[in-house]
Amino acid sequence: MKLKAVLVVTILLLFTSVGFATNFGTKKRMPRPEEFGNVVINNYSEKNNIAPVVFKHWIHRAKYTCRVCHVDVGFAMEPGGSDIKEADNTNGLYCGSCHNGKEAFGPTSREKVVSEVKNCDRCHSYGKDVKGQKNFNEQLKDFPPSRFGNRIDWMKAEEKGLIKLKDQVEGLSIKRQAIAAPKDFDIKSTILGMPDIIFSHKIHAEINGCELCHPEVFSAKKGYTKYNMQDIFAGKYCGACHAKVAFPFYDCQLCHLKEVY
Amino acid sequence: MAGFLPSCVSDDGSESMTGSKFDMVWTAKDTPPPARYGNVLITRLTKKSTHPSVAFSHWLHRRNYTCRVCHFELGFAYKTNASGISEEKNRRGEFCGACHNDRIAFSVLSEDNCRKCHSGSLGHTDERFAEMSGFPKTLYGDQINWVKALRKGLIQPKQSLLSENFEQIPFDKNLRLEPEWRGVKTRAFFPHLKHTEWLDCADCHPDIFNIQKKGTKHFLMNYINEGKFCGVCHLTVAFPIQDCRRCHPDLE
Repeated sequence: MKLKAVLVVTILLLFTSVGFATNFGTKKRMPRPEEFGNVVINNYSEKNNIAPVVFKHWIHRAKYTCRVCHVDVGFAMEPGGSDIKEADNTNGLYCGSCHNGKEAFGPTSREKVVSEVKNCDRCHSYGKDVKGQKNFNEQLKDFPPSRFGNRIDWMKAEEKGLIKLKDQVEGLSIKRQAIAAPKDFDIKSTILGMPDIIFSHKIHAEINGCELCHPEVFSAKKGYTKYNMQDIFAGKYCGACHAKVAFPFYDCQLCHLKEVY
Repeated sequence: MAGFLPSCVSDDGSESMTGSKFDMVWTAKDTPPPARYGNVLITRLTKKSTHPSVAFSHWLHRRNYTCRVCHFELGFAYKTNASGISEEKNRRGEFCGACHNDRIAFSVLSEDNCRKCHSGSLGHTDERFAEMSGFPKTLYGDQINWVKALRKGLIQPKQSLLSENFEQIPFDKNLRLEPEWRGVKTRAFFPHLKHTEWLDCADCHPDIFNIQKKGTKHFLMNYINEGKFCGVCHLTVAFPIQDCRRCHPDLE
């Protein structure tokens, strides 16, 4: 009995010492521009002996608004959160809602009408060097630069006409009359000397609609959702997008831009 | 500087501050001679090849650029050999190649220039150290008071490479950090402004220091000595921790 107790205690001690993080107080590795926003989806892939899917936000966001996938298609905001299965895709859900051979390449395509080519590798590409895949550096060479993330100023790229974002996909989106975006407003900083945030509804609503943020990420009532920078760093609230895909929170002055008096 | 023992501790025989723990906290690592303080030998790929390693001198670069330019905008890591720099990336305009392209500094593309960086010797910039003989002095590290040099206008380091009108948030909050150990009476003084002149907020937050009040766990001198927290910069490049009084001005 005594021996058992000793064993339990040592095992517990071992676990706590292993679980103790040692990388505190140091700088984490910053993702490279071509890695930023890339997501590995491995719900069932490895269990079925196929490479996990590498989803690249930068390829998709150069063509579609965020809304198309995260509202109309219904993708979760966390990797693996949608629990996508192969059957979902073949039934026209998730990736399959566009990757069906009509809007974008499907699971197979025909080359020179005769031979059928399997396209599995183009998405199930984790750890593989897939030939013919779009190269980040070549594709986005002439795009306006920004400081962090993909190092691309996506908004400027759209202004310049380098990209044209599709907001409706046929057979998927149902067009509704647009609701006028509410006015821009300031979010007061709680720390003396920290500039207030100017939040633009218009800029956000153009690519996200209303549904992506309200009511789950932010309540629709102004001032009702209480959050701080700590929450944003942890990937909540603004951090739901601005920690992973949209320009990252490192670029303080893009939000904290009201002058301090 | 070995065996360095500042008068930081009062003599009340506190148990928590004796023996090996005491040594670990208050024995600062040796620092190289001033002209080599902050010099780094980058060997990741060269050690497997016949090319001499790259010697990088921080004091040579920090005269012209703030820390944030390289350590944030250009994505250089804070540890030697951790950035994944390669010749191909330099040639494509990443890392060193972002400036060393003939437009800003000598180009990585010209073969005449290879040896300027691939010198294989930490001392290859020693001669140029005299260029800063007129700068305000300190006692430790590279023995240059960079904060004063900046205030006096002796250097005008560029704030950003990628954003033309970049202005850091002038966040001017001074922190007083209370000691957590019995027997230690000194408080650490942290001025935000002296740091934001060189660094972006996100250079330190939230990875190195989270921003919660009293929320940074394990924030102790021995961890700093291991290269964590302040030690990320203040052991190797910024003034070293031997300079106790610059952070602990109330030391007797």
